[in-house]
Amino acid sequence: MNEKIGRIYFGVLGIITLIFGITDLIVTIGGNDFSWGILEISSDMFRGGWGGLIVISAGLFYLSSLKNFLEIHQFSKALMASILIWILAGTDIFVRITESIPGGEDGPWFNSLEGFLSTYAPPYPPVIFLLPFSLVILFSLSKRKKA
Amino acid sequence: MKKILLMGNPNVGKSVFFNRLTGANVIESNYPGTTVDYTKGYMKGNSEDFEIIDVPGTFSLEPKDKAEEVAVKMLEEKKDALVICVIDASKIERGLYLALEIIERGYPVVLALNMWDVAEDKNIQIDIEKLKSILNIPVVPTIAISGKGFKEVVLSIKKAASVGVKEIMEKVGEIK
Amino acid sequence: MTLTADERWDLIEKISNKVVTFSKFKHTLKDALGELTVKPLTGIPIAIAVLYGFWSVFSSFAGTLCTDGFFVKLFDGHFLPWIQSVFPGKGGWFYYIFVGDPAADNCFEAFGVLTSGLFVAIGVVLPAIFIFYLMMALLEDVGYMPRLAVLIDTIFHKIGLHGYAIVPSILALGCNVPAVTATRILETKKQRFIMMTLLAIFIPCGAQLGIMQEVIPESIGIVLLYLIFGYFLFGFILNKITPGKSPEILIDVPPYQKPLWNNISRKLRMRLGGFFKIAVPFVLFGCAIVNILYLSGTIDWLARVLTPLLTGWFGVPGETVGPLIAAFLRKDLAVAQLSAIEMSKYQMITSVVLVSIYFPCVATFVMLLKEGWKNLLGSLAVLVTVIFLYGGLINVIWKLLGVQ
Repeated sequence: MNEKIGRIYFGVLGIITLIFGITDLIVTIGGNDFSWGILEISSDMFRGGWGGLIVISAGLFYLSSLKNFLEIHQFSKALMASILIWILAGTDIFVRITESIPGGEDGPWFNSLEGFLSTYAPPYPPVIFLLPFSLVILFSLSKRKKA
Repeated sequence: MKKILLMGNPNVGKSVFFNRLTGANVIESNYPGTTVDYTKGYMKGNSEDFEIIDVPGTFSLEPKDKAEEVAVKMLEEKKDALVICVIDASKIERGLYLALEIIERGYPVVLALNMWDVAEDKNIQIDIEKLKSILNIPVVPTIAISGKGFKEVVLSIKKAASVGVKEIMEKVGEIK
Repeated sequence: MTLTADERWDLIEKISNKVVTFSKFKHTLKDALGELTVKPLTGIPIAIAVLYGFWSVFSSFAGTLCTDGFFVKLFDGHFLPWIQSVFPGKGGWFYYIFVGDPAADNCFEAFGVLTSGLFVAIGVVLPAIFIFYLMMALLEDVGYMPRLAVLIDTIFHKIGLHGYAIVPSILALGCNVPAVTATRILETKKQRFIMMTLLAIFIPCGAQLGIMQEVIPESIGIVLLYLIFGYFLFGFILNKITPGKSPEILIDVPPYQKPLWNNISRKLRMRLGGFFKIAVPFVLFGCAIVNILYLSGTIDWLARVLTPLLTGWFGVPGETVGPLIAAFLRKDLAVAQLSAIEMSKYQMITSVVLVSIYFPCVATFVMLLKEGWKNLLGSLAVLVTVIFLYGGLINVIWKLLGVQ
């Protein structure tokens, strides 16, 4: 990936990430869950509050990596931003996995296939939307390695 | 049974070393000072068996904390032991300090330059042959977590003998 | 012939001049990532994210999946009715000790050795410490832990400890027993004393964390916050009043590396093995002791005698005497027993805090004793003070807030 494309891409991603993070915090302070289409922002102190702070940090990491993007210390910031998003999205998916397997309090031991799948249906929190875009860093990483 | 003390600076991978040599279960942690008590294990050599003791990590033989005190005491108690000194190849000076102290006390030493991969990462090159001839003891580059160099360490045990520090000082002057 | 330190360094310099060549040092991506995790500006958000991930995985694996998903159903729906019906001698003391309340419909309230005891040990604590140790081992092996130590170093200096102290503190979150041993890496007696005392009092172990997120998921944050605050507050005070020195030390940070599955699984096996050998028998034994004390009327008597103190000073019901006795043996059991006592949310928080800061569990106590009885006496003196002052303080806070 050449430097210019990388800067534009991660610049835009950084701004979107930052906006998502700030929204997370605002929603948490507001105290009511916010949903819009398949996007849902939790007002939970843990997911919205601490999670929001981490999303903001990820956004700032992306933005601070832009100058001289291909230099190793700068590039590592963008990589770290993606890692932060992976932690958030990964744990969110893990929560769904743990919820999808058991059959519920009065149900059978294991969940029905339908119940299992419906756990993974939308709405999703912001980090899930950021996840695929953050993975692009792996592509730049492999390019770096070859170079 | 011949006794072998496993010594070295803190956090250079001694516990991994110990587990590799003995197949024992010492908890290896990637932070300094996990081995604060000592652990014993047994190793089958080619012709004889050895008792191996994992000594807590220490920077020198002038102890500063309790773990180091344990290390010094164990060295003093086992007068007839052989020492495998594990040092961090990327911080060789610091490791040599301990190694020299042990050599000065007259113990036969095998020197394992562990974390060889890290040293390579950092672009540090060490001339093993030269080091061997200066110190006149077996020197083996190792990577504990992948097991590189272990066989050579075991094979070198019988080659280890005590050397005088005076000879080392003379040798350093001679070699180019 | 031996050398002086200067002569030795001199010799080393000569040797290294001959054998070592340094090429230009180039930072690798690993180094750059390592730097980010250590510098405060970037390191603190990263630390928050790591702890966030840790806690999220911990509570969803242990709580949502294992305990609520399967073990509650297994124990309450199948095991409890079965053992209540097949165990001989209903109404007798033997039945009471082993099965507990014959009318109970869940294992938290049954109180028997085979009901509450087994449920707490296997159904709640086992999954919690399994996932805890697994993630700890991962973070250790990747090399994150030492970096966290460097990051926290500055704060720790304020309480007379250096960054190494984070190692025993974090180990203590798994179990206090190995943590006490790990304090030996601290250099001076003073530091060791402060650390041992602080972790015995303020750091809840993995078993206790597991049961807390099961019985008081909504207030666990407050409990932990209160404990962490106490840890630093009393660390600061102890640093001022304990004679001795707390010198600086350099921390060595190993490079980031790929974790080795072998190493992790071995660690996990050893620690879980320790849990079955030490913790499970203690939980069951603790259940039996508390039941015997109930049967003999000792607890009722103690509750009557201590009620003025418990309700007057700490604001918790007299019945908490039972769990407080259980806390001598196992903190996880004590918290489980608290959940069966009727009280307000705030009383619950106070009593969980009390159980935490109150006497270390018996296994930790033995370890402290091994490290010297003088230290132990000192720690106990601090402990008593902390219980009365800091334990009473939380009640005062509730009063001031007007919630109790």
